[in-house]
Amino acid sequence: MLEGWRVVGVAGPQDFPAVPVFAVFTLGGSAFPVNYASRITQKQCFLASFNLVGARLAGSHVDTQEPKTNPLVSISDEPETLYKRVSLLVKGHDKAVLDSYEYFAVLAAKELGISVEAVRRPPKDIERFTLLKSVHIYKKHRVQYEMRTHYICLELKYLTSSTAAVYLEYVQRNLPEGVAMEVKKTKIEKIPEHIQEPVWDTLPPVKETEVKS
Amino acid sequence: IPPRTERMAVDQDWSSVYPTAAAFKPSAVPLPIRMGYPVKRGVPPPKEGNLELVKIPNFLHLTPPAIKKHCAALKDFCTEWPSALDSDEKCEQHFPIEIETVDYVSAGTSIRNPKARVVTLKVKLSNLNLDDHARKKLIKLVGERYCEDTDILTITTDRCPLRRQNYDYSIHLLTVLYHESWKTEMWESEKTEEDMEEYIWENSCSQKNALDTLLRIKASENVSNVTEEELLASEVVKNYRNSVIALKNEGETEDNMSQYKESVKKLLNIQ
Repeated sequence: MLEGWRVVGVAGPQDFPAVPVFAVFTLGGSAFPVNYASRITQKQCFLASFNLVGARLAGSHVDTQEPKTNPLVSISDEPETLYKRVSLLVKGHDKAVLDSYEYFAVLAAKELGISVEAVRRPPKDIERFTLLKSVHIYKKHRVQYEMRTHYICLELKYLTSSTAAVYLEYVQRNLPEGVAMEVKKTKIEKIPEHIQEPVWDTLPPVKETEVKS
Repeated sequence: IPPRTERMAVDQDWSSVYPTAAAFKPSAVPLPIRMGYPVKRGVPPPKEGNLELVKIPNFLHLTPPAIKKHCAALKDFCTEWPSALDSDEKCEQHFPIEIETVDYVSAGTSIRNPKARVVTLKVKLSNLNLDDHARKKLIKLVGERYCEDTDILTITTDRCPLRRQNYDYSIHLLTVLYHESWKTEMWESEKTEEDMEEYIWENSCSQKNALDTLLRIKASENVSNVTEEELLASEVVKNYRNSVIALKNEGETEDNMSQYKESVKKLLNIQ
């Protein structure tokens, strides 16, 4: 199968056969070996003061968080930030590589218990340009190159920051060479305290100074 | 010596052959694959000495059993999403502010991406503690960043060099907007009819004209002086007021026009 070869036409007189022309690829270096569970990772505890309707949720969560035997997991007291949606856009030059990567990412999400909302495949972008074939003169003979960028968009819903950190690190470490990724995280938060009430009621009255125009 | 593929068992542990991402080794992969452009009247070249198979990124280290093993080891580090927040509406109710940040991963001469410092803050105004005047003033202050259909205020900050600074700045902007909208300045009393967002019937030309007409009708019929308050409180005037407000605020629809027609007929006692 012709992976990575793009035969593109040649501008100019059609009497000689079309010469195959290569698309431009970026192939990065090979990945280095990684041992996932060999580092001690901080897992963040849930909000102690998390006022929710299901308040017993906080209690039950603390129970299940006790790691049975894993000495590598340590729990910190920082409250977790919640991500309503994490959107992964993966860009690459080769569709087969992206398809395999998508299978890997979806399986990893399922195994880690993350709900995948949708897997979209936006249409590819082709950037073409026409250059002179020869170093000097011969304006009528050009050569055309194109760069194809394929996209795959994975949307994940309802992640906590620990889960998001674990999943994103795993998925990004196994990003193949020549593939780029953009991760858009939507964090949800409560309204901060200083916006709950207007502050003018509590401040002492200040004399109004004349505005000089 | 024969290649390793001939000594491999069918039920071996593949994740020990390719534990991490590695180049394609034809002597270690027992698959009979061929890749490349075939010569004339031939087949694609075999895997021995095939550069195409080496060039393309392979996923031999990420077979489904290997992924499952990795995830089982990683599962201890994950926390669960709170089960009480299982729908978007509940998230909205308890956590009204949404902050969007983007991270970029790519290979190149530098790992930094200047677009990574942009922070977008989205909040629904119905979740903020605003009264009527504060809400209108906030919408006027904010201008294009407010969407009327979805009632979402979007603040995008880009001016600081770090993402945390941009986040702090966006929160600061929200705080300032909130507090400023609760303040009433002296010059706000000069708000004219053109500045109003919605039509208010009290103290408008429509009210004056209607009352004027009614008073003149009553005067010509020589009824004892009816005061303005009584006229305002009467049913016909209220109907007229509602129909005019509906017309101005919601636009001209069939229902609104017919309602207006009925109310005018009742007001002027025409049949």
